[in-house]
Amino acid sequence: MKASRSTQLFWIAGAILIILYALIPVFWIVSLSFKAGDDITNKQFLPTVWSWENYKTVFSSDLFTTALRNSVGMSIIATTISVILATLAAYAISRLEFPGKRAVLGVALAITVFPVIAIATPLFNLWRTIGLYDTWLGLIIPYLSYSLPLSVYVLSAFFREIPWEMEQAAQVDGATAWQAFRRVIVPLATPGVFTAAILTFFAVWNDFVFGITLTSSEAARPVPAALAFFQGASQFSQPTAPIAAAAVVVTIPIVILVLLFQRKIVAGLTNGAVKG
Amino acid sequence: MSAIEMRNIVKEYGDGFKAVNDISLDIADGEFMILVGPSGCGKSTLLRMIVGLEDITSGDMLIGGNRVNEKAPRDRNLSMVFQNYALYPHLTVFENIAFPLRLMKGITEDEIKTRVREAASMLELNEHLDRKPANLSGGQRQRVAMGRAIVRQVNAFLFDEPLSNLDAKLRGQMRTEISRMQRRLGTTTVYVTHDQTEAMTLGDRVAVLRRGYLQQVASPRELYEQPVNMFVAGFIGSPPMNFLPAVVTGDRLKLPFLEVEVPAVAAGKVTDGQLLIAGIRPEHFEDARVIDSSKRERGKVFRAQVDVTEWLGDSQYAYIPFDANPEVAKQLAELAAELDSEALRSQLIISIDAMSRLRENHEGEFWADTRRMHLFDPKTGENLTRDEAAAADLASLEEEELRERMEQPR
Repeated sequence: MKASRSTQLFWIAGAILIILYALIPVFWIVSLSFKAGDDITNKQFLPTVWSWENYKTVFSSDLFTTALRNSVGMSIIATTISVILATLAAYAISRLEFPGKRAVLGVALAITVFPVIAIATPLFNLWRTIGLYDTWLGLIIPYLSYSLPLSVYVLSAFFREIPWEMEQAAQVDGATAWQAFRRVIVPLATPGVFTAAILTFFAVWNDFVFGITLTSSEAARPVPAALAFFQGASQFSQPTAPIAAAAVVVTIPIVILVLLFQRKIVAGLTNGAVKG
Repeated sequence: MSAIEMRNIVKEYGDGFKAVNDISLDIADGEFMILVGPSGCGKSTLLRMIVGLEDITSGDMLIGGNRVNEKAPRDRNLSMVFQNYALYPHLTVFENIAFPLRLMKGITEDEIKTRVREAASMLELNEHLDRKPANLSGGQRQRVAMGRAIVRQVNAFLFDEPLSNLDAKLRGQMRTEISRMQRRLGTTTVYVTHDQTEAMTLGDRVAVLRRGYLQQVASPRELYEQPVNMFVAGFIGSPPMNFLPAVVTGDRLKLPFLEVEVPAVAAGKVTDGQLLIAGIRPEHFEDARVIDSSKRERGKVFRAQVDVTEWLGDSQYAYIPFDANPEVAKQLAELAAELDSEALRSQLIISIDAMSRLRENHEGEFWADTRRMHLFDPKTGENLTRDEAAAADLASLEEEELRERMEQPR
């Protein structure tokens, strides 16, 4: 019992350390966002006076609100398309035998490690020529090409876990292949679908490279890129505090999303399907 | 309800392996047919070909007179209970049972409700309708799977080893339940199992398969009493039939412990000096001391040393080792391997009266009912003593029974 107690303490201490390591920068940003005016030079962790001033600045600037609209819109569109396509593709990969199946998965994995910056410049030139530069579509396409492989990879792992019999039973019960897929396979793969959706949403939401290279105006510029264009009260002062406030604002949807779907992303939904 | 006819069905895999080989089988309307055999004999493949989950390489599959080879599973109107149940975990018990109905066109919500409740009450699932499969016991899941099968009007029920995941006690109960349900609904049923108790008790007829070939299709009684070959004889019955080397000398047969006359049926088929294999079931032996004299004369009495005894309360088994000649021993080992068992030594297993106070490692006097002995050709395995007249008798009895049952108003 003593040994297990000390290991338990070890794990708790370790966990606290890691949590602090991860959260201190977040707290720092939150704290910064509440420091008004010159308070950011107060040389202490907490603001002397808690103030909403920076948040007011952020929301009163068109730069931020349009960027926020762009970010939300593009993230939702890209995520939806990506998840739908990935679900179909992953199902095919996990259920059908076709030549080059391993190659497809291999390439999918390779794309996810491909450096984003390498295609930013070629895309910039290409988009300008064909008129996709500075449009939503111009950003959604590269987002998809990066998020789709990852989603396919995640989802095919989930589909492989679903017993074949589920589908066969559905077929015998009178379902077409599509009905079996929609009424049985997709509900069973929901945790996977949500995982893929959240990963895609994060990736798109946090994108900076495409956002800054493929846009020139507020027409399509997402929040992370827009932050770089923030101006301070005067051109001599750095807009650190408003940027911190904006960063806090864009983090909130992510936190809410994770809290909402945390319960959906639980493994073991197939419990009770088959004996095991 | 429909008859199922199979004509020269073959299943060949990509690598040339034939899992099912030229099987022709007619299953009558309302009949309960069992497919049985050791693992890898092709019984499950055959069932999956009936339901359409496996392609048919060649041959014709007819359900209700229509060729269904190219039809998708959903167009065959069959229902199947899978070995691992394959329930939909995201749906409640009610929705699981209702699933096939929901896929049908032109059925009202009210009718779905009534039919699901009907099926559920037949299987005593009414108080579990709102639960999810994960919260059910093994037996309840099994019943849900059956509910899903019986909720529609189907041409036939197909069962793929449905009871193999249950414990022994529950298996017995569910076996009776399946039998009762099939009798009540009168639906043609094909049932795959490797369990002989299920095969013997459930089926009107039993089809024994071996390495993709059909060995014998007959009523359980006929399989037991008049097997066509050594494989069927060894497969049906527990403990299995004893196989002993038998040498023909003149008009007599020399067996270990015994010497008998060559049975009349086999007389023309054997030559002097030929080595045969004799098969006698454990229950056709008895402790000679407990047998009455009138019965005693009908068999042969011999003395032998008992190695081990097993007392089970209602019965008792005794093991008597003997020396088999190498040729027979090799043959028996091969057969045993095929039957998923291992012949460790050549021994007689005999079933004797539980009252008998036989002692281990002592010599005892035993009686064998040699009239019920079968003789097999060691090369082909063919049964030389099969009584065709008796077999035909048993077959017609079975047919009559089925006809009577089908004509009964339900």
